Amino acid sequence: MLGAIGIIGPEASENDRVSSDTRSTRWAHRDQFRQGTPLACLEVLGRSTVDRVVAGWRHIAIDAITLLADGYFASVRGEIDQGVREVSPTWVEHAWGCVPEILKNYRERGIDTAVVVRVAEYIEMDLLVALQFHKEQQHSVTRVFDDIGPLDTWIVDTSLDQAGERIRKALFLEASRHAVAGYVNRLADPRDLRRLAVDGLNAHCQLRPNGLEIRPGVWMSEGAQVDRRARIVGPAFIGHKSRIEEQCLITRCSNIESNCQIDYGTVVEDSTVLSNTYVGIGLDVSRSIVNSTSLLNLERDVVVEVNDPGIIRQNRIPHEEPPRQSPYGTAWGRALLAKDVNIPLDESEEF
Amino acid sequence: MLISRPVVIMQLPEKLNRENAQNFSLELEPLLECHRPRIVLDCSQVGYVDGAGVEMLLHSLEEAMKRDGDLKLSAVSPESEVMLELMRVDRVFEVFNTPEEAVRSFGAAPVEAALPEAPWYAAAFGDVEGLKQAG
Repeated sequence: MLGAIGIIGPEASENDRVSSDTRSTRWAHRDQFRQGTPLACLEVLGRSTVDRVVAGWRHIAIDAITLLADGYFASVRGEIDQGVREVSPTWVEHAWGCVPEILKNYRERGIDTAVVVRVAEYIEMDLLVALQFHKEQQHSVTRVFDDIGPLDTWIVDTSLDQAGERIRKALFLEASRHAVAGYVNRLADPRDLRRLAVDGLNAHCQLRPNGLEIRPGVWMSEGAQVDRRARIVGPAFIGHKSRIEEQCLITRCSNIESNCQIDYGTVVEDSTVLSNTYVGIGLDVSRSIVNSTSLLNLERDVVVEVNDPGIIRQNRIPHEEPPRQSPYGTAWGRALLAKDVNIPLDESEEF
Repeated sequence: MLISRPVVIMQLPEKLNRENAQNFSLELEPLLECHRPRIVLDCSQVGYVDGAGVEMLLHSLEEAMKRDGDLKLSAVSPESEVMLELMRVDRVFEVFNTPEEAVRSFGAAPVEAALPEAPWYAAAFGDVEGLKQAG
């Protein structure tokens, strides 16, 4: 039986880090633009990386999935909850610290192997091949590597009965290595987000836009509206419930994510417009990533705060059903912190 | 004799939003009212510009050109460049790296000679004096 633990959060803290090989100095880079939201939680071609990872786990019938959202991202909780539709994240103060308890819980439920992932990278790999490699190595921890270096994906025996410093040492120093040759995007920087979108649109990876290909190279999600006097020149993607108004031009691998509005006459070229963003009339968005408050120009590598609602602003978020809450919610998180796991668990329950 | 009209360099405020743009416009207005205004706007301090700021710049350029003058930008920061491109006005203005370069780009303008008024019959009879002398 298999389990999975997904951590939406930073790598192990400065105090906990045993080796520096997972350090991403670019994690905080341009934090002003990301506003603290992990890039893996932002939609790319209709789905966030977190969404896709969880869907991949379900696809290979992983029996139990635990998604821990580190309190570091509490300020953008709504965005993460909306993004992860299949399994609700549980908010905890320090996600890494909860891993040993979850592994113990899995062991008690008869799950002998777990995939532990810091959901921050987009990786195309055959997890079953990695699991097979792990079994053959007969080592309690296997870590995934690509040709650049380590990735934040581990396969762990739930019998690994270590906590605190020892488990972190096991994960970072004592793991056997499994090399993957597939597509990897570390999503360490907003530029990586743009690259992922371009690679997906150009079919340079397996990531596919979440929508219908209405004509070669042009994908549209359900509910997208494009004025007949607008032009969409593929490859391009128009997200769920987004509107492209008259005389607009969307071109050169641009992706307009969900619930956006591109107003009259605006040109979006080689750019990403993130979810829930309104882009005003007669603008020229080129080689940029745009959110509701700022614009990151990739050519000049500058972030421009835009306070003018006529240019960029948050698009009205349509009423949707509230995100599903974990049946245990913060109680589970508190229990993990208190190391008191007395909550009755159903075999088929997902967290 | 050639006399160049002086080029006026004005520094734009750090934040070119609606309020600051209005205030700056009031300062700029007298300079735009003369014949052939030549103005360089130093953008080195500008960290933020929005739609109102761009509108003020466009209006000022229009007023300068109406009077056969010009208005140029200098030392535009990357952030401001991004906003100008976003609003599609980056090619409307001549932009220079420094105010000095912008000033030099104006060159020397010949002064208009003070010619005596032509007599009332000039239009009908042409150069009467010339005819008299010839005759």
